[in-house]
Amino acid sequence: MEKIDHPDQKKSDNAANYWLSGITAGFLALGIFFVVNSKVNVVARLEIPQVDKKFLDNSPWRQTYADLVKSKEDLSDYDCYSCHDKVKPPLIRYDKNQKIIIPKEHANIEMSHGTHERNNLCYNCHNEQNLNTLQARDGNVVKFDNIPQLCGSCHGPAFRDWEAGAHGRTSGYWDRQLGDINRLSCANCHNPHAPRIPTRESAPGPHTYREATNYENTKSVH
Amino acid sequence: MSRRSFLRGCAAFGGVSALAASLAPLRELGDYTNTDQFLQKYYKELTSSDMTKVIARIESEVERQYGIRPHVRDLKPMDGVEFVYALNLTRCIGCRKCVHACVKENNQSRSPEIQYIRVLKMPHGSMDVEKGNHNYDSKQVPEKGFFYMPIQCQQCKNPPCVKVCPVNATWQEKDGITVIDYDWCIGCRYCEAACPYWARRFNFTKPQIPKDRINPDMSYLGNRPRKQGVMEKCHFCIQRTRVGKYPACLEACPVGARKFGNILDPNSEVSYILREKRVFIQLKEEMGTSPRFFYYFDK
Ligand code: HEC
Ligand code: HEC
Ligand code: HEC
Ligand code: HEC
Repeated sequence: MEKIDHPDQKKSDNAANYWLSGITAGFLALGIFFVVNSKVNVVARLEIPQVDKKFLDNSPWRQTYADLVKSKEDLSDYDCYSCHDKVKPPLIRYDKNQKIIIPKEHANIEMSHGTHERNNLCYNCHNEQNLNTLQARDGNVVKFDNIPQLCGSCHGPAFRDWEAGAHGRTSGYWDRQLGDINRLSCANCHNPHAPRIPTRESAPGPHTYREATNYENTKSVH
Repeated sequence: MSRRSFLRGCAAFGGVSALAASLAPLRELGDYTNTDQFLQKYYKELTSSDMTKVIARIESEVERQYGIRPHVRDLKPMDGVEFVYALNLTRCIGCRKCVHACVKENNQSRSPEIQYIRVLKMPHGSMDVEKGNHNYDSKQVPEKGFFYMPIQCQQCKNPPCVKVCPVNATWQEKDGITVIDYDWCIGCRYCEAACPYWARRFNFTKPQIPKDRINPDMSYLGNRPRKQGVMEKCHFCIQRTRVGKYPACLEACPVGARKFGNILDPNSEVSYILREKRVFIQLKEEMGTSPRFFYYFDK
């Protein structure tokens, strides 16, 4: 078949060519723009600070007598008979409001046990006959390194939960056949003299993706 | 050169450069993806010798990227074990130590930040998690009048996320942990949308972890470093719990609010708690997800 060169056909050919070159130029420009943009306009990411190591520290809040013995620290506070008389146990003294007077030698002790300080009497826990030991409510003498036994004599439910691993903190192995469970003592969390848990500092909250990619500060790197 | 071929050349050049530009994000993927990985079989079809090779590949990738030789294991569920988590809302003080212990244990991206646990601060008397605020910025916790509710993957018995995955890259194992194969995930984020607990996280960019904060004790379905474009979430610390240890968030909790164990063992802490304590909350229970994560109030 012979090719017909119609003038109209020529016109539309031309139009198509213009369109094509237009589109080509457009793509070319876009291509260059993308490449340049991806190199030059790097979105600056705000550096999120690493969380302070103190929030990654899993050590218990308090050290008990047993911990101090293990780490060979100063135990002079526990050497009651370096100051007290073996036969004459110290008397508990009260002020006008029937509040216990804490002598300055024991100024590190803050007493506040129970609502209305119901359990502030030293000899509710300390053994009057032998200050170097404790005495549970049932009369049993308890060593300083066996505090749960003491607390448990008045706090049955908490003690039972603790024994089952439901109160207090555990670490190590949930599977006792594969390894040991480590249970913290009551005094690792509670100060026996003021057992209410004080408030703590909270670790920083989340930084969102939007915060991390700080669009306002988009920098041009040359 | 004829005008036509010039135009063609231009069109071709423009097309190629546009294509190159559009593929630019792949360069970031490049340093984690190689042909071995592309050709890797589905997790459940890998033989043990396949797995040895896969693990060797992952170990050398991690070493190349972070300069530390990890110990990667493929840990299987234990027999006669079904994990349950119990969280005591009376105890939790909202200190967020669990959040950061989790990030450290599980090699989450630090920038942008990916965290599996979200701690909600809730007004007393309300159990509506939609009212919770996880951006609280309190110097001292707990604050009066509020309680705190950490939320992470609830390891549902009936997980909606698993159902929507088009490629079966996430599934529930027999110990109850819903896992993700990061090499199989295509990043469609359907699971993220399906999860009623906002538990799943997406790697929008290449994760950034400082070399000195990498945890080298890794597992395939657990805490090995992820790449850009895949989902991740809490997996009950597979690398710890499947060798008998407690999860990292539990050990970090200073008040002992977090309890974990085998519900099939009547002597475990969680069995004791579910037996002895009274009020339990399974979040959004009405959706039929049946979470293995129990919240409870003491007393
Ligand atoms: C640094 C010396 C020193 C040590 C060590 C010491 N005490 Fe005391 N303690 C004192 C003094 C001084 C007083 C006040 C005078 C008094 O009653 O003997 C006192 C008073 C007391 C009281 C009466 C408290 C009151 O409020 O009136 C008790 C109970 C007591 N001590 C128990 C102990 C126990 C238990 C130990 C060992 C764990 C101990 N002390 C170790 C110096 C010490
Ligand atoms: C002699 C009995 C007795 C012993 C021993 C005892 N407690 Fe208490 N404890 C009480 C009483 C009484 C209360 C007040 C309860 C109340 O007000 O409802 C109390 C309250 C508490 C509270 C609640 C917080 C507060 O101050 O109201 C905590 C926590 C506590 N004790 C922890 C301990 C720990 C830890 C030990 C062991 C070091 C211990 N207790 C030993 C009697 C005892
Ligand atoms: C609830 C029980 C309880 C009461 C009440 C109590 N203590 Fe104690 N106290 C303990 C326990 C338990 C320890 C060991 C703490 C440890 O291991 O950290 C201790 C340790 C001590 C120590 C040695 C360590 C230190 O902190 O200096 C002294 C001194 C002491 N008590 C004095 C007193 C005095 C004085 C009183 C009365 C004002 C008193 N205690 C009331 C339980 C009690
Ligand atoms: C991991 C730390 C930890 C350990 C270990 C621990 N407790 Fe507690 N205990 C707490 C916290 C947190 C509370 C919440 C009360 C508060 O905020 O003051 C609490 C509350 C209590 C209460 C108040 C009643 C209640 O249930 O709220 C008693 C009583 C108590 N503990 C006794 C004990 C005894 C007894 C032991 C040891 C056998 C023990 N605790 C071990 C952290 C601990």
